[in-house]
Amino acid sequence: MTSTVPPKTRNLPTQAIGAKIFHSCNVVSLSIMLTSGLQIYNANPVFGGREGLHIPSIFTLGGWLAGGRHWHFAAMWLFSLNLLWYGIYVLITRRWRHRFIGGNDLRALQKSQNSKRLIYAWHRIVYTAIIPILLLALLTGIGMYKPVQFSWVVDMFGSWQALRIVHFASVPMFIIFTIIHSLLGRKAGGSQLTESMFW
Amino acid sequence: MINDKKLIRINRPQLTRRKFLEISGVSGMGFLMGGCGTPAFEDIVGKLSEPLNQKVEELVFKPQKPVAEFSFSEIKPEELIVNSFRSTPIIDTAQYRLIIDGEVNNPLSLSMAEIQALPLTSMIIRHVCVEGWAAIVQWGGVRLQEIVALAQPKANVQYAYFKSADGYYESWDIASTLHPQTLLAYQKNGDPLPIENGAPLRLASPIKLGYKQSKWVTRITLVSYLSLFKGYWEDQGYEWFAGL
Repeated sequence: MTSTVPPKTRNLPTQAIGAKIFHSCNVVSLSIMLTSGLQIYNANPVFGGREGLHIPSIFTLGGWLAGGRHWHFAAMWLFSLNLLWYGIYVLITRRWRHRFIGGNDLRALQKSQNSKRLIYAWHRIVYTAIIPILLLALLTGIGMYKPVQFSWVVDMFGSWQALRIVHFASVPMFIIFTIIHSLLGRKAGGSQLTESMFW
Repeated sequence: MINDKKLIRINRPQLTRRKFLEISGVSGMGFLMGGCGTPAFEDIVGKLSEPLNQKVEELVFKPQKPVAEFSFSEIKPEELIVNSFRSTPIIDTAQYRLIIDGEVNNPLSLSMAEIQALPLTSMIIRHVCVEGWAAIVQWGGVRLQEIVALAQPKANVQYAYFKSADGYYESWDIASTLHPQTLLAYQKNGDPLPIENGAPLRLASPIKLGYKQSKWVTRITLVSYLSLFKGYWEDQGYEWFAGL
């Protein structure tokens, strides 16, 4: 009864606990940032002002402008501190040397016939690209939150409207990223890889 | 032997760590997202994060450092949207008085002529609205710090309350009140202040969001404490400090 033959174990993907925490915090904080941000957007749409295109309330968090702002500025701490400690973590564990896009991936894209290798390369490009997008969202956000104390941020983008557009552009960029990231992740390692990124 | 697995597992609870995290994650997201479109937790979130945010805001705020200004050609008059919470009050400028009272040694009641006899300060600043739009505007008027100085506030004064002719009310921290670009304005873009923009006298400042900048100001009360009523919009959920 006790001597059962162990089933053939597949080599399950494993992730560092630091990467899992970062990933999970990002899912929660960015969901809040996105939905509460759209609530704020609705008070005076970036394109067209009050008569402009409004986001349906099903996608917005906070109920009204003040609520949306409360959520946005609370989640901002979770999001930005998460990004900060992840940056430190990447540096001290030297993950930056082999976890992001590198020359070998670019070479693989040109030469490799191995479809699995190609997916890996593409996937690395995609999730490396999100890092500057998130940093840009943070920078433009600081510029709009404190345009007086950080006036150089507003100046960097030329005008208030340009700053708003760039900040708002992080919404479609992030949504597109999430879709491609999860599709490529699934292609590269199936649902097991996806799960391994969370728990 | 074939049924071994079934036999062993039959009475065990099947909630593994992985499964538990999966369920709690999914239900947690549902709990969170259930708040979409409803004002479910905004108050709690605001109460928790606002004190922290305010600490940071006060930390980055430089009380006496003037904010960089713009050139006259950068003004786009149509960008300044008129927001009113109730209606436009009718004020007879000849009868108008600005009262300054509270914890002061020299309470004041000033006419428009007396206010306009004080030194005129002009500034071209970015007026930023909580809704997300902004407009570059020229405001001309009296520095609030000069009027406060005339009233001789007591040493313990910490806040300024502003009452408006339409019932709107606001409160400011004293450091922002005394900022050199916090004005009681009676000019806009080089012209006398229009009634819909707050004539005869309104607050204008580059360091606070638009809803802090009361129009039709009739009374300034300098106090050492903040009452339960902080401001018309603040009492409905907007943040109080609202610094830029």
